Amino acid sequence: MFKINKILLTILVLIISFILIPAVGFGQASTTPPKEIILGAALPLTGGQSREGGYVNKAYAMALKEINDAGGIMVKAYGKKIPIKLIIYDDKSDNTTSVQLYEKLVTEDKVNALMGGYGTPLITAHTIVAEKYRVPYVNGGGATGAIYQRGMKYIFCVISSIEKLSFTLMDWIALQQNAGKLKKPLRIALMGENTSHGKEFRQGVLDKSKAAPDRFQVVMDEPFELNLKDADPLLQKVKAANADIYLADARLADYVTIHRRYTEMNLYHSIVSYGPRGPEKAARDALGPASDYIISCNWWNKDIPAAPSKAFAEKYQKTYNEPAEWFAATAYEAFRVMAKAIEDAGTLDKTKIRDAMAKIDMKNSLVVGGRVWFEPNGQINNDHLIMQNMPGGKVVIIYPKDVATAQPILPIPKK
Amino acid sequence: MSYGLTLIYGVMKIVNLAHAGVMMWGAYFAFVLITRLGGNPFLAPIVIVPVFFVFGMFLQRYVVRRVMGAPPISSLLLLFGVWLIMQNISYLIFSGDTKAITTKYTLLTFQLAGIPVSVNRMVVFIVGILALLALRQFLGHTYMGKAIRATAQDSDASKLAGINTSRITEIAFGIGIALASLAGSLMALIFAFDPDFGRSHLLKGFCIVVLGGLESMIGVALGALVLALAEALSVLWLMPAMQDFVSFALLVIVLIVMPGGMKGLVDRFFSK
Repeated sequence: MFKINKILLTILVLIISFILIPAVGFGQASTTPPKEIILGAALPLTGGQSREGGYVNKAYAMALKEINDAGGIMVKAYGKKIPIKLIIYDDKSDNTTSVQLYEKLVTEDKVNALMGGYGTPLITAHTIVAEKYRVPYVNGGGATGAIYQRGMKYIFCVISSIEKLSFTLMDWIALQQNAGKLKKPLRIALMGENTSHGKEFRQGVLDKSKAAPDRFQVVMDEPFELNLKDADPLLQKVKAANADIYLADARLADYVTIHRRYTEMNLYHSIVSYGPRGPEKAARDALGPASDYIISCNWWNKDIPAAPSKAFAEKYQKTYNEPAEWFAATAYEAFRVMAKAIEDAGTLDKTKIRDAMAKIDMKNSLVVGGRVWFEPNGQINNDHLIMQNMPGGKVVIIYPKDVATAQPILPIPKK
Repeated sequence: MSYGLTLIYGVMKIVNLAHAGVMMWGAYFAFVLITRLGGNPFLAPIVIVPVFFVFGMFLQRYVVRRVMGAPPISSLLLLFGVWLIMQNISYLIFSGDTKAITTKYTLLTFQLAGIPVSVNRMVVFIVGILALLALRQFLGHTYMGKAIRATAQDSDASKLAGINTSRITEIAFGIGIALASLAGSLMALIFAFDPDFGRSHLLKGFCIVVLGGLESMIGVALGALVLALAEALSVLWLMPAMQDFVSFALLVIVLIVMPGGMKGLVDRFFSK
């Protein structure tokens, strides 16, 4: 009898323990606020992308300080503001290292969310980690649409795609046709680097041309390899195409190489554009007056007259004693977007943060259009800025109208 | 660049992967001399070439010599490591930013039979020809040059003939490195560059060397001409993005059909 009572007592204790532990133990854990919210990123701080990675690092540090100075992020589940701890690693501009570091951030550092790095190849590689572990992730430096066409749910980006870049450019050209500054139809010589970046750019131009054959005729369309050694064959084709405008997508080094040769060959087109390239100081120094009047499309510029952009540009200049470039602005905005998503979610549950991010509608943003929201694929779909290089190293914003600082000079003057 | 690769391969039978790094350093050296110190872009090589000659000798004496006689993979890995170190030093000093040298000659052209010719490119072409002629003169008509050729042909026999082959390999390596730096300093006048500069040129350099016949200077010049023509003319039928395909297809064809390269072809033609 005594034995049976002892067994019954043990079972009773176990049952009570099972009932009480979740209620008391885990329940208590869910209401105890963590000391900090951990965010992490692997940035290219050394290696080929170190310049851009450096901007992203500074922008993250600036946004982090702002938020922590205000007490951190308000997390409703704990009823208080919690400061952020940001872990940054150097991926050395290497895809494999980047993936390993994002794995480390998730599995060892136990981050609550991930911030993005910079550059299409690195972001294409490391976003797989975020998706695999279902950790919300946002970046401001990987525009290529292909990254977001892989059916991933946890990946977000605050800069619109390269295809959208060519759409914006073509829409703007159509506006110039309507204004009588350019003829109809325009014969287009098109080329782009043989990467997903270049392919998207070319595809965007081709799509727009197909949709409006009365406005655009693509008379040449060529891909070229990165790190071009000889631009002559390509430019001979451009010359032979006898086009009215010349549109290309190239990285900085290729842009300099191609446009130097373009100038040496005395080529001329009513519009010359290298996609996002054009206003960079390194290129303007390398090309001198040959870079005047080049049209470029980009995601941000320090001269945008809207209040959030001006405030950021001034603060960045004051903090780092250097002018902000777009890499910094979009990274800063990505950080703020993550903070807002956590606040909107009201919890540190990763799925809920992801859901809040998917539904985000952030006003007073410094991105073009002043608003951050995401398409179902996780990428923003706002317009790009269009800028034109002016003599004397100046750059003016010519589109969209609400942020334009000058009228475009078209057709570009013959030299 | 290819002359340097050929010379080093000919004498030491090693493939110098660090050549790309030397070319990149040549470009940065020219950048500092021209843009920071105000040097004349066409005279910069006069300073650069001797500096890199000494660097090459130093590299051979204290680094490369240690793997001489070891299996080829040792020198390949060693020189690949040297290239990585050079790259990372450049990243530390100059960051990954793209640099370019702009002078009053940049974008300057003159008309030749109605064709605009770039002054920069013309100077680079002329210097390339002069380098070939000087090298040919040096290898064919000086004691040192003959000693280098003798060492390239048969190192043991050269030793028996009283040639200090250690010294000769050191000098040959120095000349090869100096030629790579000359290429880098001249290419920097045409192309923008970063610490990764030279990688694609190295691959093309290998194509040219194999096409030329591995150990022949004239073969290398011919190989470069054939490769340039093949790449430029291929654009008439193929996409420009296929230029690299043309180069490497040519490399494979030459290795299979004509292992002696252009030199072998010329020799066969004249022996008939």
